[in-house]
Amino acid sequence: MAPSRPLFAAVMLTTVGLLGACGGGGATGTTQGDGKPVYGGTLTYLEHQPPTCLYLPAAGFYPNGGILNQITDKLTWQNPETLKIEPWIATKWEVNANATEYTFHLRDGVTFSDGSPLDASAVAANFDVYGLGNPKLKLPVAEFVNNYERSEIIDTKTVRFHFKKSSPGFLQGTSVIGAGLVSKKSISLPYEQQCQLKNVIGSGPFTVKSQVVDKEVDLVARKDYNWAPPSSKHQGRAYLDEIKIIVTPEDNVRVGALTSGQADMVRYVQAYDEKTVKDAGFQIYAEPTRGVNNGLYLRPTNSILKDPDVRRALQAGTNATEVVDTLFTESYPVATSVLSHLAQGYVDLSKELAYDPAKANALLDKAGWSRGADGVRVKDGRRLELGVFVSGPQPLSKQTLELVAQQWAKLGVKLDIRPADAGTQAVDIKNAEKTGIQHGMVGRADQDVIKSHFHSQNRDVILHDDAKLDRILEEESAEPDVTKRNAKVAEIQRYVIEQGYAIPLFEEPQVYGAAPHVQGVAFEAVARPWFYSVWKSQQ
Amino acid sequence: MTRYLLSRTGQAALVLWAAFTASYVLLQLLPGDSILIKFQNPELGLSPQQIAEIRTYYGTGSPIFEYVQTLLGFLTGRFGYSIDTGTPVIERLAEALPETVRLASAAFLVAVLIAVVIAFAASYSRTSWLRGALLSVPSLFISVPAFWLGILLIQVFSFRLKLVPVIGGSDVQQLILPVLTLAVPISAPIAQVLARSIDQVYAQPFVPVIAAKGATRWWILWRHVARNAVLPTLTVAGLMLGELIAGSVVTETVFGRAGVGRLTEQAVNAQDTPVMLAVVVLAAAVFVLVNLVVDVLFPILDPRLKAAL
Repeated sequence: MAPSRPLFAAVMLTTVGLLGACGGGGATGTTQGDGKPVYGGTLTYLEHQPPTCLYLPAAGFYPNGGILNQITDKLTWQNPETLKIEPWIATKWEVNANATEYTFHLRDGVTFSDGSPLDASAVAANFDVYGLGNPKLKLPVAEFVNNYERSEIIDTKTVRFHFKKSSPGFLQGTSVIGAGLVSKKSISLPYEQQCQLKNVIGSGPFTVKSQVVDKEVDLVARKDYNWAPPSSKHQGRAYLDEIKIIVTPEDNVRVGALTSGQADMVRYVQAYDEKTVKDAGFQIYAEPTRGVNNGLYLRPTNSILKDPDVRRALQAGTNATEVVDTLFTESYPVATSVLSHLAQGYVDLSKELAYDPAKANALLDKAGWSRGADGVRVKDGRRLELGVFVSGPQPLSKQTLELVAQQWAKLGVKLDIRPADAGTQAVDIKNAEKTGIQHGMVGRADQDVIKSHFHSQNRDVILHDDAKLDRILEEESAEPDVTKRNAKVAEIQRYVIEQGYAIPLFEEPQVYGAAPHVQGVAFEAVARPWFYSVWKSQQ
Repeated sequence: MTRYLLSRTGQAALVLWAAFTASYVLLQLLPGDSILIKFQNPELGLSPQQIAEIRTYYGTGSPIFEYVQTLLGFLTGRFGYSIDTGTPVIERLAEALPETVRLASAAFLVAVLIAVVIAFAASYSRTSWLRGALLSVPSLFISVPAFWLGILLIQVFSFRLKLVPVIGGSDVQQLILPVLTLAVPISAPIAQVLARSIDQVYAQPFVPVIAAKGATRWWILWRHVARNAVLPTLTVAGLMLGELIAGSVVTETVFGRAGVGRLTEQAVNAQDTPVMLAVVVLAAAVFVLVNLVVDVLFPILDPRLKAAL
């Protein structure tokens, strides 16, 4: 995926010397196409939506993550290829046997962009907030930290975290987008202020130059940046001088601006635009999000869906392949489990998820739902009608639901699709009776992603009352041994599918488009762009 | 005149109060609230209890008390805080307003220009098919949806012909296409009313008299007919302000401009009540003000109306 950067580390110093010598040429012959990175230039990157609150734990929202991933560093680096946790700001770490104590040794000489040191006390201050929240400052607990007890500063370069019980997910938690480290001053501000970009002081390769709220964020490279993850081929300051992140909500304006040369890179290329971008000789990056798949999640607390046979019928009667073939592209692989095939602990359940309308009809007949006059099934005078909201963040959610509604209509099930309208949705989405089904996904490259999605104390998308589900999720999250933990994840996937809690549709990617002259494009493990090693081969 | 002004100002204040109250009540009646919308974001992982605590923190008193408090705040220029971003509403408006004022005023001028050209050309032309064609242009213009026109203009002038960039570019370059997008549908009713008024004035007996005295066609149209035809047009132009505000929501979204239109769209999505309330009152205030100006201009343009006051 990334272009080769041969010999780069060796010639870096020479290249630094050539900084400012624009147009290539130069002693080392830096011309277009020889694959050697050049410094300088501005990357124009078009975002689909404006950022919202930039409090770090809320960085999961892609427009937020696209900014925060450039201006903050994390304790550890999750290699997007291997998903292994590698050193970054922490050069090494120790974890005790039952994963209740984590000790991190920090890199020397790292500073935040306001000049303050990134030391043990700053790291402790960050994780005390992420792990415990701060009710006085209205700061909520971060999703990626579980069972946090306290921090302990051993010395200026060593910090230890204590947990109330086994928390094997914490190491990966220190690498996620929301775990970006900010200065002590930033982390001690109240929520409303941490939401504002100007107050987010990180140690990343870029800093904020200016912002026009809801329109544009300009980032500028930090010249003294010298603490990239050791596994990155590129070290030292970022190649680019500047990044202009411009909010361009209209889909075809983003794509048109890219192909007409007004922008270098765009996020959120719709499936139907991918061909236009490719045909123009541009690059499509469909980055996997490695978590819980895009799908329909059925709520057992709904009075119709409390019958497992009805849930299993809907599962068997949904044709995910047709959804992908009709609406999407090869960037959207058909789901073969609740989790993406690139998620940790994934098991292939495609056999269990085979499309089987005959089975679906038989199950519904067995459950006592018989076809009424208009084709919709009826039982005890009640129609088999279920509500679902269009999911704003999901690509073509409305079209997906409409296609599923057509498939279900053949079974005699009516799917009532409601528009994503913030007010009603916020109230009714937590009401299993009104909203029996939820359309969504969640990306995170750790086994805990499935717990985030299903546990009744986390996102709880299916609003369940299933004690067994909660129990196996907790067991997974507290299992320090990786092999056993992955086995637990497999057990959960089988259980969720067998119970009919989920109808996985496809593995939702983040789709980016980039001009051919944009080199070194990289993403973190959950598909947020990382512009540190990006360079432009022509200006 | 003073009495007229005073009564018009009183009416204006009443309209503003009514707009404030109506929107306040409607916003309260909406299901859900911005705190729920904002903090229910699963990325935050908050439990319903925690959300309830946050709501208590933000404080919700009795509805009547809240209403009076908000009204007093508005009267003293305190619009409260945006729940979505935590910044004072007045700051958000101050950021967004200049963008929209630039866009809307330029669009309005261009719209008037287009309207005058169409109406005059139609009235001046002697060929009936040309006149018919010109007079049907406004109907075409008004049926063009703003978002479609915006995208079409971008595709043709920016992406195909590469005449104006939509991304980057100077302030003026960034205004050209949005201004056209907004101006076209607004020019239509102005052109229609102007053309019709010109026809009506032409039918009046004084026109043949001036013609008999030897005035040229252009002189009659420009000096005598147009001046008399401008009154109804002015009224329509004042009313078009509403269209400008509504059109700017679409135009600003298509062109990614951070103006009041976009602010409104986002406030509606996040159910950011304080922002929505301020936008409604602001729009009403501008509306009332423009109509007040139009009313005051009437007697100045037409001396016959002065006597009626």
